Amino acid sequence: MASRNFIHSGRKIIAIGRNFSEHAKELGNAVPKSPFFFLKPTSSFISNGQAIEIPRGCEVHHEVELGVVIGKDGRDISAKDAHKHIAGYTLALDMTARNLQEQAKKAGLPWSTAKGYDTFTPVGEFIEKEAIQDTNDVDLSLKIDGVTKQNGNTRDMIFKIPSLIEYVSTIMKLQEGDLILTGTPAGVGRVLPGETVTCELASKGKIVSQLRFPVVDRSNKA
Amino acid sequence: MADFLKTGRKIIAIGRNYSEHAKELGNAVPTEPFFFLKPTSSYITDGQSIEIPAGCEVHHELELSVIIGKEGRDILAEDADNYIAGYALSLDMTARNVQDKAKKEGRPWSASKGYDTFTPIGAFIPKDQIPDHGNVDLSLQVNGVTKQKGNTRDMIFSVPALIENVSSIMKLEEGDVIMTGTPKGVGRVLSGETVTCDLAVDGKVLSKLTFPVIDRPNPKRP
Repeated sequence: MASRNFIHSGRKIIAIGRNFSEHAKELGNAVPKSPFFFLKPTSSFISNGQAIEIPRGCEVHHEVELGVVIGKDGRDISAKDAHKHIAGYTLALDMTARNLQEQAKKAGLPWSTAKGYDTFTPVGEFIEKEAIQDTNDVDLSLKIDGVTKQNGNTRDMIFKIPSLIEYVSTIMKLQEGDLILTGTPAGVGRVLPGETVTCELASKGKIVSQLRFPVVDRSNKA
Repeated sequence: MADFLKTGRKIIAIGRNYSEHAKELGNAVPTEPFFFLKPTSSYITDGQSIEIPAGCEVHHELELSVIIGKEGRDILAEDADNYIAGYALSLDMTARNVQDKAKKEGRPWSASKGYDTFTPIGAFIPKDQIPDHGNVDLSLQVNGVTKQKGNTRDMIFSVPALIENVSSIMKLEEGDVIMTGTPKGVGRVLSGETVTCDLAVDGKVLSKLTFPVIDRPNPKRP
């Protein structure tokens, strides 16, 4: 099934912005009245154990997120039908070159570079739909070198997954294997080469996914 | 390679690569390239309809697209031609009012550039039919009236420079499409109109496309 193999088959990554109010506030942003999203390229995927690369001149931040894997094509999907289009989930990080993003915001320019560097979408294995009974009660946590930095629960999402699927699909048709990253809780911060990022997803107190990503400098091969 | 529409994993669109186009929208002429992503879900082919979503003022932007034939990252400009499989004639349809609002708010461009049908594109043109990507005539008509007419010699950043820049951020993969910017003359299209465009090299037309414009249909709800 293409959705299980989403890292290789998925045609797009849609990342929702500012979907946890405390995260919006910690970056000095207004809490949004409707969702918004940006795209990350599928070339930025890495899997468990691979290294996150820090490009020269970039201050890179971690953002731990619940990812939703689409299992059925559709557009103009209503929130009440959204669950029919979900194949499963994954634990993910939306790595972000924060300094580049701040510059882009000030200049009114796209976010694509800040969000799109190689290795900037670390993801875990495909999680079966049944393993997460309630998407509004998923614990997400992240540590750097064993120190907890982010620790949140999806109950704090401003826009819930069905609304996000409805919203995105009124703009862009969703296809099997697409990934929607649903936003990050408070506690984002910088990672440096030499550190190790670990993150965890738990549902109803049971750990469902645990991932580990070493952080290295992006080396120039030119 | 001819099925890049199905296999390609990303569309990278270069912004403001013709100085007259930068000026006509009141933008500064850039000192280095920048890009944004368009989702592959936005592709339509010759004869299919461009959809105008409710509330959107949609503009046409005529562009030469480069189709990548070989995977690579940190590609040097002097090697870039080895990574090109061919070309295509394309349009970067843009919801201009949505884009202007995003720029003012420092938000992503993804929605304004990413609606379904917003990347009309022609058939694959093999590399040997365009010996010089810096000498390609592009023209666009709305209901038979010429709106855009340019030549790729007016690109600020050449195709090899763009490949070098993009691949230093995101690895390029076979089937990826780089849209190389639009000459001046962008403007609104309305439903009921027909957009035609063509690409020629030394007087020989290599691609000629037609796209009717319609309103985006309302979702069918039971």
